[in-house]
Amino acid sequence: MKLPEWMNTPDSYVPPGGSLFAVKTIRSLGRIMSDLRVQRGHEKARAVPALIKIPLLLAVIITVSAVQSRLVLLAFGAVLLGYLCIWPARDILSVVRPSAAAGLLAAVLLLPALIAGSTGPANSALFVAKVVLCVMSVSIFNHTTQWYHITAALRKLHVPGVFVFALDITLRYIVLLGRLICDLLTSLSLRSVGKARGRYGSVGGVMGVTFVRGAELNRETYEAMRCRGFTDDYSGL
Amino acid sequence: MSFIELDSIEFAYEDGMKVFSGFSAATECGTCTVLTGDNGSGKTTLLRILTGLSFVQDGRYVFDGTEITARFLRDNARSKLFHKRVGFLFQNPDVMLFNPKVYDEIAFGPRQMGLTDEETDRRVRDILELFDIADLAERVPYHLSGGQKKKVALASVIALDPEVLILDEPMSGLDRQSRSWHADFLTELKRAGRTLITATHEPELIQNLADQVIDLS
Repeated sequence: MKLPEWMNTPDSYVPPGGSLFAVKTIRSLGRIMSDLRVQRGHEKARAVPALIKIPLLLAVIITVSAVQSRLVLLAFGAVLLGYLCIWPARDILSVVRPSAAAGLLAAVLLLPALIAGSTGPANSALFVAKVVLCVMSVSIFNHTTQWYHITAALRKLHVPGVFVFALDITLRYIVLLGRLICDLLTSLSLRSVGKARGRYGSVGGVMGVTFVRGAELNRETYEAMRCRGFTDDYSGL
Repeated sequence: MSFIELDSIEFAYEDGMKVFSGFSAATECGTCTVLTGDNGSGKTTLLRILTGLSFVQDGRYVFDGTEITARFLRDNARSKLFHKRVGFLFQNPDVMLFNPKVYDEIAFGPRQMGLTDEETDRRVRDILELFDIADLAERVPYHLSGGQKKKVALASVIALDPEVLILDEPMSGLDRQSRSWHADFLTELKRAGRTLITATHEPELIQNLADQVIDLS
């Protein structure tokens, strides 16, 4: 075995500056996907069971959506914020951030209607407040309930097996795909030693590989289930 | 001071589990260091620290006289130079293959380095020949067999011509012929003055190649 000549001579390589914006963005996405499953939130030992929390959450969302009284919404908002006050700062941030983002998005979507005069500022503010409260409630639920408790509660609530199964498998594989994305992007960034020449095409390649791997995992899981006697009957799951 | 030096490093995972506490090691330029140890003993973690993917929480990691820290690698030019000098082969080759063709996979590094198309092509052809994978040049990397993927992944790292090659279980899952080829290739790399650091359980590789064996059990 003889190594090529260029391996015996030093490279005339000068490292350029420049950031890895696309890589950093998608890596963050991968981490979010992983965190979705890992759930770093705090579920206390004597927490309210998910079996109670799920119907309660649905009731809250329906009530907040239907109610027209600002006083009731303010009172509900005060209760939620009061509850959040006893949480660690990092956890508060992880609940408030998506709520604020959803509120902002709702405000932006309402802006044309507000400018055109088809809705009043008071109604728009009421709508944005409802969005913020609903998203905040869901975030608190997500932050205080482990996924496996949610799927277990859904089974007890007689939600169809196919739905619970799909949810469970999706959550499980989101973690695997999140890790795969992180590893692919790490490997990409390790070899990205120069200017962005074709690098964005590689980011597309990363997404493509993730998609193909997702489809493969789906097929392999189904085949493994069939090998263990699964007959497309989801009711027993 | 050694070429690569770990001085009393401390490292714990996010869940608080400590992997390294006061661990020290050093390796010289042009030598081969083999990491052995049980599953979960921290081989991959140590390799990630050496590659600049994870950072020690206490102690020092010094590479060629420079302390490698998260702050040091935050500078893009320094980070790119470090990763040009230190190549890393992941245990799972799937995470290293993201280009549409094997040719593009190998050409990715040289193109990044700013080589001309002719130089890139010459380098890729040399590597395809060296690795005996010229017939795979137009194939989709993701659809190759495990052994072929491992070869393409290693080829893509070698295309950067790194001074230090860090390999995480380079021979796991390979057949006898492929293992023999990998052992010969690593021997040749060492002879050419490259520094090798590898995690492996292969007794043959440890016996023939290792200047230093670090058991992390």
